[in-house]
Amino acid sequence: MVRLADREQAVFGAISHPARRRMLDLLVADDRSVNAIAGHFKMSRPAVSQHLRILLDAGLLTEQRHGRERRYRSVPEQLGPVRNWLAHYERFWDDRLGRLEKVLARRSKQ
Amino acid sequence: MTKSIQKELRFPQPPVQVWQAITDSATLAEWMFPNDFEPRVGHRFTFRVPPNPQTRFDGIVVHCEVLDCQPSSRLAFSWSAGELENTRVEFRLEPDGGGTRVYFEHSGFNLSAAFGEQAFRGAEYGWAKMLKQLADVLEPSATGH
Repeated sequence: MVRLADREQAVFGAISHPARRRMLDLLVADDRSVNAIAGHFKMSRPAVSQHLRILLDAGLLTEQRHGRERRYRSVPEQLGPVRNWLAHYERFWDDRLGRLEKVLARRSKQ
Repeated sequence: MTKSIQKELRFPQPPVQVWQAITDSATLAEWMFPNDFEPRVGHRFTFRVPPNPQTRFDGIVVHCEVLDCQPSSRLAFSWSAGELENTRVEFRLEPDGGGTRVYFEHSGFNLSAAFGEQAFRGAEYGWAKMLKQLADVLEPSATGH
């Protein structure tokens, strides 16, 4: 349980920064090197690396060596906790709308 | 990163009856939660989700404002609860034979904005808590009906 909560927190924490969300978007389609990623941001390369590290630690990115450079790629399925949260709302509305159906059926009979 | 939940339903009752069930405060309370809803644009209201000591859920208040209200046709209100700010809930009603087709949408899950730094200050009040609260809200009703 603790581990799951920690993981959720790591994921939510990782995507709490706008630059990191943009990095994730950037890396969905394609794997890229730090330099290629840094080209899309005004911040310094070390700052970009630091953000990538946080995303890596949260399991949202993978890192692969291609010769001398490292390439990063997003792992969208790791966004599970975020999807879970939407799934909870989905269930919530299924439940409530089911109740609405029952209320209506009951009233029609009266 | 904006997402929405969409449902299409069909009820055998005519639109006027469905409209009554979603806009009359007392009826609304029967399938949603206690509320002070009034069917007029601009009206601010709340849904009070009661605490449940069994699941150690302390209850939650959902803050809403009526955004659109066209009798027997369209109802929309904002929905803010916990960290979830200004999402939109909409019911669109269309006559379908003698019944009603309902297009339901809960939109504006702006994950980018919601996941802003502030939302994550401290572990206790982050999404994990909201997630747990929602799960707790769902549990009793899921088994109680």
